[in-house]
Formats: sequence, structure tokens, C-alpha cells
Amino acid sequence: MVLKSIADEFDQCIKCGLCQATCPVCKELLLEKYTPRGKIQLARYYSQGELDLSSHYQDIFAKCLLCGACVTTCPSGVELNKVFISMREEIAKKKGVHHKMEELVRSLVVNYNISGEDNSQRGEWRDFLKDLPDHMYQKGKAEVVYFVGCVASFFPMVHKIPQNLVRILELANVDFTILGGEEWCCGFPLIGAGVPEKAREMMKHNLEKVNELRAKRVVFSCPSCYRTWKEYYDTDLDLFHSTQFIARLIKDEAIHLREVNTRVTYHDPCDLGRNGGVYDAPREILKSIPGLTLVELENNRDQCVCCGGGGNLEMADSALSETMAQKKIEEIQRTGAKTVVTSCQQCIRTIKSRARRQKINLDVRDITELVLKAMSND
Amino acid sequence: MISASLTNEFRSIVGNEWFLDTPEDLATYSYDGFLPEFKPDAVIIPGCTDEISKIMWVANREKINITPRGAGTNICGGSVAKKGGIIITFHRMNKILEIDPENRCAVVQPGVVNADLQKEVARYGLMYPPDPASMFVSTIGGNVALNAGGPRGVKYGVTRDYLLGLEVVLPSGEVIRTGGKTLKNVSGYDLTRLLCGSEGTLGIFTEIIVKLIPLPSAKATLQAIFSNLDDAATTVSAIIGSGIVPTTLELMDRVVLDAIGDYGGAQFSKEAQALLLIEVDGEELLIEAQGRRIEKFCKERGAIEVQRARSPEEAEKLWQARRTAFGAVARVKPNCIVEDATVPVKKLPEIIKKIVELADKYQLKIAILAHAGDGNLHPLIMTDLRDKEEMVRIDKALEEMYEAAIAMGGTLSGEHGIGIAKSRFMAMEFNQASIDLMRGIKKVFDPNNILNPGSFL
Repeated sequence: MVLKSIADEFDQCIKCGLCQATCPVCKELLLEKYTPRGKIQLARYYSQGELDLSSHYQDIFAKCLLCGACVTTCPSGVELNKVFISMREEIAKKKGVHHKMEELVRSLVVNYNISGEDNSQRGEWRDFLKDLPDHMYQKGKAEVVYFVGCVASFFPMVHKIPQNLVRILELANVDFTILGGEEWCCGFPLIGAGVPEKAREMMKHNLEKVNELRAKRVVFSCPSCYRTWKEYYDTDLDLFHSTQFIARLIKDEAIHLREVNTRVTYHDPCDLGRNGGVYDAPREILKSIPGLTLVELENNRDQCVCCGGGGNLEMADSALSETMAQKKIEEIQRTGAKTVVTSCQQCIRTIKSRARRQKINLDVRDITELVLKAMSND
Repeated sequence: MISASLTNEFRSIVGNEWFLDTPEDLATYSYDGFLPEFKPDAVIIPGCTDEISKIMWVANREKINITPRGAGTNICGGSVAKKGGIIITFHRMNKILEIDPENRCAVVQPGVVNADLQKEVARYGLMYPPDPASMFVSTIGGNVALNAGGPRGVKYGVTRDYLLGLEVVLPSGEVIRTGGKTLKNVSGYDLTRLLCGSEGTLGIFTEIIVKLIPLPSAKATLQAIFSNLDDAATTVSAIIGSGIVPTTLELMDRVVLDAIGDYGGAQFSKEAQALLLIEVDGEELLIEAQGRRIEKFCKERGAIEVQRARSPEEAEKLWQARRTAFGAVARVKPNCIVEDATVPVKKLPEIIKKIVELADKYQLKIAILAHAGDGNLHPLIMTDLRDKEEMVRIDKALEEMYEAAIAMGGTLSGEHGIGIAKSRFMAMEFNQASIDLMRGIKKVFDPNNILNPGSFL
């Protein structure tokens, strides 16, 4: 049983219930089975043979953002995320993949990306770039690989992220390349769908391709790719989220930022903050833009509430995911800032889509956009 | 088991969606923060007083046990279905019905989370003082049922001191109102206070009127480190005896400090044997003077280091050790039993000595954490429940500890409740006549013994 290895985690749970304080899912769904404590206990009952895996189990464990808020709150240090992911794996093994994630898994296995499109289209975001160099950012050898990620590659709404980042890297004279059609999904959505064995092929491929380029560093604009590489890839390469990389470029004076007079708030993506441990880099960037005022959200850094886009919840329960996004928007509005900056394409998609559907006027931007603006302001 | 026809009857009262009996639901309402688990036969989530009244009417007719449950954070087994039956939970009755600044009170439904109420009333410059450690999760209904306390208790008292009135559904299904919005009320027996702390054995609260007080404008936070545990304990009673009423006066012994250090928190000097976290609140001028006096007090009584926070950030830093204490101790061993014996504050040094002695006598690993200012101890016993032999020694140590606490004029429980955790010790604190009286009261309210049976009586 997958769960054997993590039985210590159940034993460590003292059932205090404090995890309910920060879990955005159980605040909406109310019932104990949806609380992190409830899920841990359900995992324990199953592992002890007291309950069988049912479709109800599948539904319960799919209603989770894997946002890690419970892990931060747990006084006993239970690694709840590990249990939730293992349970998804166990359920997928015994009951099959969640029906709303089947299509995603199928597409990933065939196309190596989450969009269902041919993987050779990964570089289409370059089509609209002016002054595109001849190599189109795809070189045979480079010091740095920029791993673009599926969402930014295939969803026009967030094409701006790679478009901005390559420009920033170029202006800072970084020797970098992208993998183009040779970039495959990092594997994270498969882990979230409970089929990590299918992610292994992706990981192997991606590592091989990066190593072929003899690169020393990999930069990610997607927090989930960054986190997955850090957690699951067996490599000594230096891994950076784009915010860490940019913060370093600013420190090394490789890029210069001019005044941008604006008031913004910042949303910490779960996989970058809580699950990736990166809180300071994006704030350092924002603070180094002259004229910019950062107003923190009421719940910030490790207390930041998920936008609703995590854990494949969007697929399993889109209405719930939207409720989270709505709450996020309201929290953003309470800051009085008219722009929310974040550093994750998925957060941008989730927040922007909800705002558009509700006809809410909200300016949502990736941090690279602000950086590029500050770099080019005269 | 509940028959199909009764199931239908309950379903028709609350609606299909709110009557739960899947294995997953029953399993997840079979526990609270205490250890033993009991699977209920069903879980009902009513939406209003009227539905609860109807449920109780049916349950009383059919003699089906009903156990009310808030957020299930209590650590005495107060909200589990010890004799089977139905769990009633208040997820849907979670509205703040009214905040009334002129009368300085609020009217809430039982499922409102304590911290949400505190946050909401703070916007009116008001405070709801009871602050149990579970406050970000636990509900006001549960707080009233357990008469919850918290670190601020030394100055502000406990839930009972802020309870003005209740709407209650009796086991018969009848609905009564006790108290009201007035601060003064001497009419008849004080049913409000009788129901407070009744651990869900007398009635189900459906509306709660709480008293609010003005939010203090300033506070001072201090940390004093002692090289001798006894010095720290005597300092506590000296501060209380001096006429200063601190908001919070917490004590941690070396075992706790070590656990915090190992857990990646603050590191304390080798000589540190105890730490006091002291907070006073009120008007700025007064706070300044009191802060200075406390500093002097601690130093005179052997503190090797006294730190006073100069900013809210520094205060938060000082609180950090206290906040992480429980978690840090809890992960030293697989299980951690939190005890709750309480003594008159003057006896604090004596009971602490006793606990240290018992730890040694029974070879137990016990950390001492205490809301010291009101004599409310939380010895944390680090253990492994699978170690049967150690469990026997723990039981003996607990018995001796309670005997000592009661001999000092103390009580079995300061704020956690009796439930099933300490019911076997009741005879230590109460003579037969008192217990008979409590049983008589229970019988008047609940002649069929359907409400939370298996609890302390």
C-alpha cells in the first residue's frame, strides 16, 4: 500500500482540528470530511482496514487545493500534503483516475502537455514578439534553460509571461535558451491526479534535454514546475524561480529599474510561497522599483490564501474553485490597490477569469510585466 | 442503528442533504481532540432552532441519543457519541445575528467561530475576551458548553463571565430563553450559568448573547527568564498579590524551552530554567508604569534576564515561543496528553514542585506549561499510547496530581472540561451529595438521558 510509508503522519495527528483555521476548502464545504483533519483520519481508517475506498473517498480527496495552508498551521508538523497526494495515488490505483481528470491524463501521455495541442506548438507565444532573434531563443547550448511550462506556453491569456521574461533575460545579457517542442510537462498535474508513475517519463525526458544543452541553471516562471523539479527531479542543477533569478539580476545591477508610480498588492502563489519557500524574492523586486508602493494582503506570505487554482480542483469542482477566486478578489479589493501582482500563470488565469466573468474591474499582472515596464520607462 | 422510517422523519425535518450517514461521514464525526473514538449512527446539520426542536422531540419520543458538537476541538471527549446515536452539528448556524455597541453585547448563533466574533466586534472598538487556544476554529456554542478559558483569563475571566443569555432547546423539544441583554438580572435561578459548562448534557444552545468590553488601547509585553523554576513560580503569585492584574501570565519550564529550541524556535541560555511571558493592557500611561513595576518585581525575585517589547513586532517575537510551545512539545513523542489541574495561584510553586516530583517518581517526561496567573496548569505528558506499561504509570501520576491539586483547594479542570477524560476522578472533588444533586438536575432537564449520555455524570 502506498500509504505504509507515511503511516507516521497519521500517528502524528493529534486531531486538534486547528488545521480548519486556514483550510479554504473546508471553510466553504463545512463538513468534517472535507477538513484536513478529516482527510487525515479517513486516510488512517483506510490504512487500518476500517473503511474501503469508495467513489465518495475519491470525491473527498479531490476537493483539496494542495495549497499547503494546513501544513503551515498544524502544530504537530504533520505533512498533510504528502498524505493527500499519496491518497490520490492509492485511489487512482484502486478506483481509477478521477473522471474529471481522465482527459487531462490522456492528453499528457499523448501530447506531453496539458492543453491537448500538438507539443510542437509550445513556442507559439513567440509569434507576436517584435525583434525576434534568428535563434528564436532556442539555442544548441546555453548556460541557462528557461523552462516555460504548459500553461504559459499554450494559454494566450498568459503568453505575456514568457514574452516578458525572455526580453528581461535578453536585456540582462543572460545566455539562455528554451526547449521549445522538447519541453514536456514537468509532471506535476499527473502527480496531482494520482498517477506519479506516468510523470516519471516526463521527468526523465526533461532532465535529459536540459543536460544535453550542458546548462548549469534552470529558470521557471511557473511555481509548480519549479516546485516539482525541486522536489521530484534528481538533479544537481541550480533551480530558480524567475523571481529569484530577477532579484539576483537586480542585485548584480544587470538590470536597472526606473520609476513606476503605482500602488500594488502581491499574491503569494502556493507553490512558490508555502510549498516552495520563496517569499522574499518577489517583494525585493517590487521594493526595488522606485515609486512603487506595496500594500500587503490581509493574509500574506505563509498565510496567503490560495486563489482556487491549485490541486487540479478547477477540474474536479470548478464551482468551488470559482468561489475561492471570488474570495481572493474581495481580499485584493480590500487593500485598496487597483493592481494585484503575482508570479504564477495559474493564479493569473484563475483570478482574471473570475473577475472577467463577474465583470469586476481588476488589474492582474505578472511580476515580469512590471519589471519590464520599469526597465523600459524613460 | 436508526430505522428507515425514523431516518425519513429526520430527513423530512432538515432536508436530505443535511442528514448524513455515509461511512465516511460517520467516521469523521467519531472523534474530537480527545483520544477515544465512537462512531455515531447519523449526523444531522440543522439550519434553525425550529428544526432542532423538532429533532429533539422525535429523539425524545424514540429515546435516541443526541450529542451536540461544535468544531470538535475539545480535549475531554465532550462531543463524541459515547453511547451511539446522533451527532448534531452547527455548521449552518454560524451567523453573527447582531452586534449591539450601545448595549455592549452581541447575539450569535452557536456555530460562529470565536476568532471571527473577536475580529468583527473589534471593528466597533469592542472585545470578546475569552481566547481559548482553539479560538481560530472553535465555536461560541462549544465554548459556552465547555465554559472555555484562555490565557487572558487571569484578567478577564472565562466564557461564563461574558455570557448574558441563551436560547436553548431542551431534550423535550421545548425552547426556553434565559437571561437577556441586561447586565443585571437576578430573576429566578441563574439558568444561564448552570447551562454554561454543562458539556452538552442539559440543552442545545441555539442563540447566545455575549457581553463585550471596550478594546484596551495599549499593552506591554515582557519576558522574564529565571535560573530557578521555583523563583519563577513565586514571582507569579507575587505579581498577582501586588495588585497588578496582568492580562496574561504564562509560565514555561526548561523542558518546554528545550522542545522549542529543538523545533527550530528560539534558543535559550543554559541557565534558563523557566520563562514567564507577561502582558498587561489598558490605558497607555498605566501600562507604562505597570510594565516597569513588573520588570522590577522579576529582577528582585531572581530573574536573570527581563526583556520588554518596544514594538508590536517585538511583542510578537516574545509570543512566538509561547505559541509554538505546544506544537514543539507535542512532536517530541508520538502522543502528548495535556492536563488541566488548577490551584489557587498562591499554591502554584507547591503544585509545580509536586509535578516535578511525580515525573521523577513515575519516570515520565512531563513539560510544564501554565496559565500561571490564574493557577491553571497545563502539564504536557509526552508519551506513546501504545506503551501500555507507561500508560499505567501515567494514570497513577495523574491520580496523585489531582489529589494534590484538590487538597490545595484546587480543581480537576480549569478550562478543558471533564467529559470522559476525568469522569473517574469526580469523586475526588465532589462528595456524594453534590454528585446526587447534579444527577438530579440532569434528570429534571433530561429525564430520558438522551443528551450526551456517558459524560461526566
